[in-house]
Amino acid sequence: MIPAAWICLFAPLGAAIAITLAGNRLSRRAAGYLATTSVLVSFVAAVVSFAFLLGDPPDNREQYSTLWHWLTAGPYQFDLRILVDPLSTFMMLIVAGVGFLIVWYSIGYMDGDDEERRYFAYMALFVFSMLLLVQGGNLLMLLAGWGLVGLSSYLLIGFWHERPTAIAAAKKAFVMNAIGDATMALALFILIQRDGTLNFEVVFSRTGSLGTWAANLVALGLLGGAVAKSAQLPLQTWLPDAMEGPTPVSALIHAATMVTAGVYLIVRTNALFEAAPHVQELAAGLGAATLLMAGLIALVQTDIKRVIAYSTMSQIGYMFLAAGLGAYADAMFHLMTHAFFKALLFMAAGIVIHALADEQDLRKMGGLRQYLPKTYWAFLVGALALTGIPPLSGFFSKDALLAPALAHGWYGQLLWVAGMVGVFLTGLYTFRMLFLAFWGEPSPFVQEHFHALKRDVVGVSLAVPVGVLTVLAAFAGWIQVYNFWTPISNWLDPVAPPLVTASGLQEAATSVIAVALALTGIGVAWWIYAARRGEAPRTLPLLQHKFYFDELYDALFYRPAVFLATGLYRWVERPLVFGSLRELAAAVRELGFETRSIQTGLVRTYVLAIAASLAVITIVFVVVR
Amino acid sequence: MILAADAGNVLVWVVWVVAACACLGSGIAVISFSNPFFSALSLIGNLASLAVLYLLLSAEFVAAAQVLVYAGAVMVMFLFVIAYLGGRADAPWAGGPSWQAFAAGAASGALLVEVLVVISLKSSGRLTHEANIDSSFGSPARIGRLFLTDHLLAFEITSIVLLVAAVGGVILGSHSRNPSVDR
Amino acid sequence: MNGPNVVWYLAVATFLFCTGALGVLIRRSPLIVLLSLEIMLNGANLALIAFARQQGHEDGQIFALAVMAVAASEVVVGLGLIVAMARRRLDLDVDKLRTLRG
Repeated sequence: MIPAAWICLFAPLGAAIAITLAGNRLSRRAAGYLATTSVLVSFVAAVVSFAFLLGDPPDNREQYSTLWHWLTAGPYQFDLRILVDPLSTFMMLIVAGVGFLIVWYSIGYMDGDDEERRYFAYMALFVFSMLLLVQGGNLLMLLAGWGLVGLSSYLLIGFWHERPTAIAAAKKAFVMNAIGDATMALALFILIQRDGTLNFEVVFSRTGSLGTWAANLVALGLLGGAVAKSAQLPLQTWLPDAMEGPTPVSALIHAATMVTAGVYLIVRTNALFEAAPHVQELAAGLGAATLLMAGLIALVQTDIKRVIAYSTMSQIGYMFLAAGLGAYADAMFHLMTHAFFKALLFMAAGIVIHALADEQDLRKMGGLRQYLPKTYWAFLVGALALTGIPPLSGFFSKDALLAPALAHGWYGQLLWVAGMVGVFLTGLYTFRMLFLAFWGEPSPFVQEHFHALKRDVVGVSLAVPVGVLTVLAAFAGWIQVYNFWTPISNWLDPVAPPLVTASGLQEAATSVIAVALALTGIGVAWWIYAARRGEAPRTLPLLQHKFYFDELYDALFYRPAVFLATGLYRWVERPLVFGSLRELAAAVRELGFETRSIQTGLVRTYVLAIAASLAVITIVFVVVR
Repeated sequence: MILAADAGNVLVWVVWVVAACACLGSGIAVISFSNPFFSALSLIGNLASLAVLYLLLSAEFVAAAQVLVYAGAVMVMFLFVIAYLGGRADAPWAGGPSWQAFAAGAASGALLVEVLVVISLKSSGRLTHEANIDSSFGSPARIGRLFLTDHLLAFEITSIVLLVAAVGGVILGSHSRNPSVDR
Repeated sequence: MNGPNVVWYLAVATFLFCTGALGVLIRRSPLIVLLSLEIMLNGANLALIAFARQQGHEDGQIFALAVMAVAASEVVVGLGLIVAMARRRLDLDVDKLRTLRG
């Protein structure tokens, strides 16, 4: 089991290195196959680990494995170690499995791009980083994976580096992630100082000795990192811009895996968060606020990928809500189903974009149902799953998320209301997108620019993963049904025992109301966008400007920084630094000029120098004697 | 030549004073004249008075060598060259940076003062002790014996130096050089 | 010994030396510079002879004779140089020889 875990971790890294070193000797398609195969190997290894772990008794499912002692300094020692336990195998399966499908899909999507090899190297690097994050056996490995994932995201968002918008988006993502990294590092410093190590088993068992101040700071630091990585309030502005990257990147990184790392973090370090209950409640509150805000903004977006991006932001808000209230297994369950149907939506949208020669504007689309029937069905399944219509997967996971909130007291009930409003909004914006793109008469743009996909390697690589995900999005929800059948909760129980469980009545009530609200949302969308019997209300500027967060951060951080930088340049760097250098050079030159006058060329001068020196030396000798 | 010791100190002192003043005066004259001919003649006077001083110091052989070699040969050579150069040998006083003249005077004066101070005040009596000498001190026989025994190496090397100088003089003065380049 | 002490002779020798040095530093004609150089050498000779008398050895006199021989050689070479300069119609002025000026 342990060797399988290590193979799972390092296979994608090997592929990334191999592609980088092979360079032009590897054909572009071969690079794609290499990357895909390595992630498949990863997935198989993850399945093997999972199978072996299943064979262990439930209370003995925590296996650490150290490769070598990485940092040793005095009493501190940090190792390169991984952990194979229920939570990490759960994540390994999702990351490797969905990753494999998406990398396979990329072979078709990125076909013909000049820099395909670089793309696949980056994708393999990303899968490795994400696996390191989820498999890390101490907080330092987790942080290492965290940083590497941020790097891969930067590299992949800015993949088409000739576009200035892509570069700017990559920088924005990286800077906001770096803020999270910084707060996380500070939290880790406190932990090192208090506990002397970052190993999970020590840190999680000693939370009692932290003291309230330290516990709150640590939890806040970790929450900062989670918020940055998962694009929650207040660090959410980078996610929509990240859609500048290729669609498979959006599917893998910004829907299925990287942005869910924040949720994973909270679930993994639940002991630390439970030691700081107010911070945990803050996490839930941020999640709720984000899901509402994102849902509202998604209503007015015109770019198909951005609608899905805001939808991701909103769904992760749900997961934060659940994790913040202590329903860890439910959050992870939703993470799994969300990975399936969100990746599916992105990939289907990718097929649409490809078919329309890279057009992403919803207003130009219409009637694609006739042109891309299979894609339409895939998209429909994804949309229904997202909205939470039974019997698709989203129904089981989303209701399981919201029901425990009712059991948490007045705060939880408030959040429950927010979640319900979010369900309505989800139905509305999702089906707005679907109706605009696929229903109605084919728009002139579509008629002019549509070209069908061929049934070759590219076509297969685009179609099969979408098909697989459609099936998963439809049926994966049946793996956990309320309180009747809870394999996921049982599986994750040793690692993250839930703080709240909903009663049967709360669950039933939640389900009914949620489905009703979802259907209402779909109905309103149909009324306005499909049947065209109603007029869409005028869009609020507040929503169109995404609640003015970008402008706020621009005024709050960017402008002062630029002002400070220009000021420093003009008043400090130019006069002081350049000036002093210039003065120094001038002084040296002057000194040389003066010294030149000693060389008169006359022998007399030199003899005079000798005579004068003699006179002086004589005095010295006389005095010393 | 041995001076009669019983003529008393007075005679010796008088001779000394005359010779010393001649020495110093001619020295100053050498560096003061603008006509090089007069400078050379003053140097001859300087050398002669120095010979007298040597005699007072019981260095008869050196005094004779001084007169014969220095005043006789070297100065004659000088006068030959001055005569050859004729008008071009005129030597006005120094030009150039005037601060150098002042500094030169200062340096020389400082040297003079310092050494005088050293030999008079600081010598702490070491210089006042004089050795007793016999009558053959400074005679050619003694000098010759020293040259051929204790200081043989210096003797030989000096001869080589003289040889080199002679050869160099011939080369420098020969006419077989290329026609002179006007500058 | 009769007459002045050795110190007096040394004083004269010092005076000669400094006079010669002054001449070397101040005069412009190479001929006069050579003559001043001779004065310096003679001053050194006088000091040597005086010390020989004071110590009672003739080593100082031997040294003085060697100095005289070397001085003669040096004069030969120096005058040869001056004659060569004159033959090339150079100015007999040490101030004019400034090619080493920096």
